[in-house]
Amino acid sequence: MLSLWLPRLATDRIRRLREDTNENLAPLVIYGKRGNADVLTAVDEVAERLGLHSGLALAQARAMHPAIDAIAEDAAANAALLEGIADWCLRYTPLVACDAADGLLLDIGGCAHLYGGEQELVADLGRRIARAGFAYRVAIAGTIGAAHAAARFGEPAAYASGNERDILNPLPLAALRLEPATVASLARVGLKRIGDIIDLPRSPLTARFGVDLLRQLDRARGQEHEPLNPRLPVAPYVAEQRFHEPIAREEDVLGTVEKLAARLGIALERRGDGARRIELTLFRTDGAVRRIAAGTSRPLRDAQDIRALFTERLAALADTIDPGFGFDMARLSVVTAEACPSEQIGIGGEEDAGELVRLVDRLSARLGASRVGRPVSLDSHIPERAAATVPAQIVKADQGWDAFRRHRAETDLAPRPLRLLTRPEPIEALAEVPDGPPLRFRWRRALHDVISAEGPERIEGAWWSEPDAHAADNRARDYFRVEDKSGLRFWLYRSGLYRDLVRGDLANAAPPSWFLHGTFA
Amino acid sequence: MIEDLRQRLRALQKTTGLAPGAAEAQEAIVPFGIAALDDALGGGLARGALHEISAPGEAHLAAATGFALGLASGARNLLWIAEDMALNESGTPYGPGLDLFTLAPERLLTAAVGHRRDLLWAMEEALRCRALGAVIGELRGGALDAVAVRRLSLAAATSGALALLLRAQPADDASTAATRWIVGAAPSTAQTQFGPGAPRFAANLIRNRRGPLGSWILEWRDQDERFILATHAQPVAAPPRHRPHQKVA
Repeated sequence: MLSLWLPRLATDRIRRLREDTNENLAPLVIYGKRGNADVLTAVDEVAERLGLHSGLALAQARAMHPAIDAIAEDAAANAALLEGIADWCLRYTPLVACDAADGLLLDIGGCAHLYGGEQELVADLGRRIARAGFAYRVAIAGTIGAAHAAARFGEPAAYASGNERDILNPLPLAALRLEPATVASLARVGLKRIGDIIDLPRSPLTARFGVDLLRQLDRARGQEHEPLNPRLPVAPYVAEQRFHEPIAREEDVLGTVEKLAARLGIALERRGDGARRIELTLFRTDGAVRRIAAGTSRPLRDAQDIRALFTERLAALADTIDPGFGFDMARLSVVTAEACPSEQIGIGGEEDAGELVRLVDRLSARLGASRVGRPVSLDSHIPERAAATVPAQIVKADQGWDAFRRHRAETDLAPRPLRLLTRPEPIEALAEVPDGPPLRFRWRRALHDVISAEGPERIEGAWWSEPDAHAADNRARDYFRVEDKSGLRFWLYRSGLYRDLVRGDLANAAPPSWFLHGTFA
Repeated sequence: MIEDLRQRLRALQKTTGLAPGAAEAQEAIVPFGIAALDDALGGGLARGALHEISAPGEAHLAAATGFALGLASGARNLLWIAEDMALNESGTPYGPGLDLFTLAPERLLTAAVGHRRDLLWAMEEALRCRALGAVIGELRGGALDAVAVRRLSLAAATSGALALLLRAQPADDASTAATRWIVGAAPSTAQTQFGPGAPRFAANLIRNRRGPLGSWILEWRDQDERFILATHAQPVAAPPRHRPHQKVA
């Protein structure tokens, strides 16, 4: 377990923003409201040498050193920066978690040998972090607690698993991630170091200071398991590639994708899986990380297909990929995998379907999965709910149209329009009262004289599912198919019945009104 | 020497499908089954080519849509790409209605795009896919980039799919489309008691690479899934004298 602590995250952020490089800087402090007073929350190295420390009142610090550069704290920006660094740390291991507001935890078990050992990994990490302009401390230990304690309070080093006791003994109790109140009350009875309590009888300690103290101690010593809670789910299949020379051209990126996809394909095939969602992570030389995801409509393992998918994704966001000085590492991970029967070769129809699926994937990658759809039939008699468009990548084999055709044949359903307006549009209509078709109506400022009409087809509202059964758009509708003088055919309806008006039913007091819902060929 | 150059030119034209009549042999032609119409089109509607269909005005768009679907009715799979604006203004394709109009909704794939360039890209991409029989691109106002239209024609020629551009207003931009139509609704043989009759279309062929122009009243026959020439319920209006589309053609 590797713990990375960035003790001056807040001030380093400001320095990086200003691109300060020279040595003779004014002392920089960050302040924020604690209680009712402005208090220093972070100080940089120069300020610390002057004797300023966090917790000091801002007014007092100003009195001591009028020349200090004081900046209001921005917790959200710090958190975002830490997230960015966490993303960047994915280059070392997929298991990265945030640790408090200014640290990270990396599970490097099984990854260190890729860099030639833990020492080399730490050196590489340190070099890059320092070059980015951050003060840092790194410690490796067998448990999360021990690594955390050693990074913040102990000697930064790589400790072997098993001798947590030796690491922890000399460290102050605050290193155990306890409540400040607990630490203070321990100090009041003279217990200052972890070594002071490590051999004390357990039950009096628990009785006096709560269960938390011993649990944290046990966790740090490895006697109780503490799981790491990674920021991102770990992908079941991962392939990555590092470059000696950063790559920047799109073709190179795509070439890398294909190479990595070929490697993933072997692993996928061995377990009989296919990828449903693939993520490409690009690590830029300056530390920025770019994640691009693409979904597929059927389990996929062919490298060419995966490359084609990312070609479209990259084309869709061409202006935002910005390689800067190039990418020095790329990782392709299968986020969601699904069992995939092995490929069948031959049979023309199958091949055609495959081609269609590939087209759907390409279009979805470029336009967005929700914008490429297939119509499905739904079990509703209300026209706008009787059909919907479902993303083509997730649509089921049975789209319900056979059932619709049976229903139409059985009930002798009146014709439905070719195009349905997204919202019925109100029209002014002149019609026979109570149930006659409109004789003349005005839609979008044009007057239409009805020559012939078919109807009415009465469609009642869904009183059983609506919370307010008397809502205006839930009234009974009488649909008419009409043709006007020039041959245009419309689907109109009258919302509400005159019958209700005559009865004087108060809830339905609004007079019936006319709408245009669709157009026929 | 000159003869040699001419031959090379002809060969070049043949590969790009530009020479009138040159690529006819390879292209599949779908006859309408209406002698007058098929004669004008040189046998029928050419697949593997781009055809433009405009409605004479917004209100007639459903009729133009029906005409386009009628042309594409033979396709096993059909992709309908439309700009968001078009869908919001004129309504989305409605499954139950399509089913009635001989297009089984299972065969339909839809795509909504926000930009004109996405529409053209998606159409071109789809036309290169051999699994699709027809691609309909629906767009709203504005001129089309001639180069992009040219690319669509070429893409259609490579796969043999039917490419249809559907517009709500007639456009007068230059185009390499094989045919250009203005299609509106025509009064059906309506009997007032029994409601509207079978849909009729006033189809006006205003540009044709292979032959003469003309206008016809067509009626869609549900049972046969094809158009027939309607008996003229009303005298057919003569084509307008002023036709700006033809100036650039």
